[in-house]
Amino acid sequence: MIDFSMYDFKEPKIKAYKCEKCGTVYYPAPMICKECHSRRDPVTDKHWETFDLEGPCELLAWTRLWNLPEGYNRKFLLFGIVQFENGLRASGRLEVEKPATGMRLVATVEESDERPGKPVHVFVFKQD
Amino acid sequence: MSRVGVVGIGHTKFGNLSQYDLGDVMAYAATDALKDAGFLERRKEIDQVIVGNMASGLFCHQSAVASSVISKMDMEPVPAELVENGPASGASAIKIGYMAVASGMADIVLVIGGEVMRKVTGWTGTEYVATMLHPEAEYDMGLTLPGFGGMFTRMYMEKYGLTERDLALLAVKNHANGAKNKYAHIQAECTIEAIADGPEANVVNTYVAEPLRMYSTCPVSDGAAALLLVNMDSPKAKLFSKKPVRIAGIASATDTHCVHNRKDPLKLEAVRIAAEKAYAMAGLSPKDISFAELHDAFSILELAISEEVGFFERGKSFLAVRKGETAIDGRLPINTSGGLKSKGHPVGATGTSQAVELVRQLRGEAELGRQVTDPKYGMAVNFGGFGNNVVAMIFAKD
Repeated sequence: MIDFSMYDFKEPKIKAYKCEKCGTVYYPAPMICKECHSRRDPVTDKHWETFDLEGPCELLAWTRLWNLPEGYNRKFLLFGIVQFENGLRASGRLEVEKPATGMRLVATVEESDERPGKPVHVFVFKQD
Repeated sequence: MSRVGVVGIGHTKFGNLSQYDLGDVMAYAATDALKDAGFLERRKEIDQVIVGNMASGLFCHQSAVASSVISKMDMEPVPAELVENGPASGASAIKIGYMAVASGMADIVLVIGGEVMRKVTGWTGTEYVATMLHPEAEYDMGLTLPGFGGMFTRMYMEKYGLTERDLALLAVKNHANGAKNKYAHIQAECTIEAIADGPEANVVNTYVAEPLRMYSTCPVSDGAAALLLVNMDSPKAKLFSKKPVRIAGIASATDTHCVHNRKDPLKLEAVRIAAEKAYAMAGLSPKDISFAELHDAFSILELAISEEVGFFERGKSFLAVRKGETAIDGRLPINTSGGLKSKGHPVGATGTSQAVELVRQLRGEAELGRQVTDPKYGMAVNFGGFGNNVVAMIFAKD
């Protein structure tokens, strides 16, 4: 039986990292834990747990960007920095009608092919 | 450590130089610096050339620019290397040159910073500059440097009560200086009526990254600036026609690559630490500084940097701008050259250009109307990334 599962649709995800030794969480992935100095192997992630970074978050800062770079055929995009309940923070796109600092949002992940190169996974922060 | 001084300066006009080769632009500024020092004919006696450039591979499809400049200037076999530190490449090149002279490894070092960015469209240029962001966590999201400038500005406004009009006042001040600077990209004044108070202001001064507007954002420029450094304690210091301006302090520091990973994203720790180290090296404090060149790629950075280096209390710098304290005739003139806003920002050239302005002011060679009265110490801060790799310099007139 041939396994075709590699061709199945995979929901876009962005991973955060947890050092198994001391429990410190990170996004994006570090190479060395700032608390216990454990090294992460970027190929195997041995001794590091990964988990999907998504869900409820709070908007810390935002902007409406009008001069988008090459590849973006849109008038503008909203961007923001959010903080998750576990304390991790992330930068990403914002899809909110009236953004306001401090508002509750939900972090979702989508695929984007606007930048040069392979499609990438991007955060899209939406109204709760 | 030997004392290090600047004995020659050169600067191209900033602007659209996209018809020229990057090596030619750099060589032009460098030959000016050698002429200024009276050392053009003896250029092969230079011990080391350090070139600062951020992204010639992207903007000009050219690599190994240090070799190109050496050949164009007929300087073989003088050693030459490239230093890259994003938009702080220029000041990093000066720092490496300083280290070479202070350590005794070299007595005479030529430092050249340059960038030609306008061979590509603004659309493409914005994309290239964004490659200095964190690859997955920032760049892939579609973020750009103006994007971070906009978010930083909003955070500052919400915390301290800064207004868009305050940012416009900075543009008016810096354009007033830049209009008199023969090297500036935009040699034109602007009025507060045109860009903030008047009925057409929203059209003239449109949003780039809200709440940052066009007049709170630097232009995309081409250009180069160069300095000749010498060991002031060596007999070779007597070979030059100009009296050295001493580099009293030079230091750099780093911060997190991802802006969101800073405990307080409004604090520019790398600026504060680099400045503290430069003050300590020079044996000076903020109150000793006569004038400063601060990296205002976005106007908010002039304010935030002026607070981090200790000129003003946190959240109070814009009140000083309202009172005219940082104008050319104020208590502490800031961005006497016009700053990045008016003079322009060819990324790899900016640090060397700031240093050239320090020397011009300390020598008393700035144009009429923008010369600071009898300055003793000038400070410059060159800001790499969005504050993740910063160089601070203090120059002294002995």
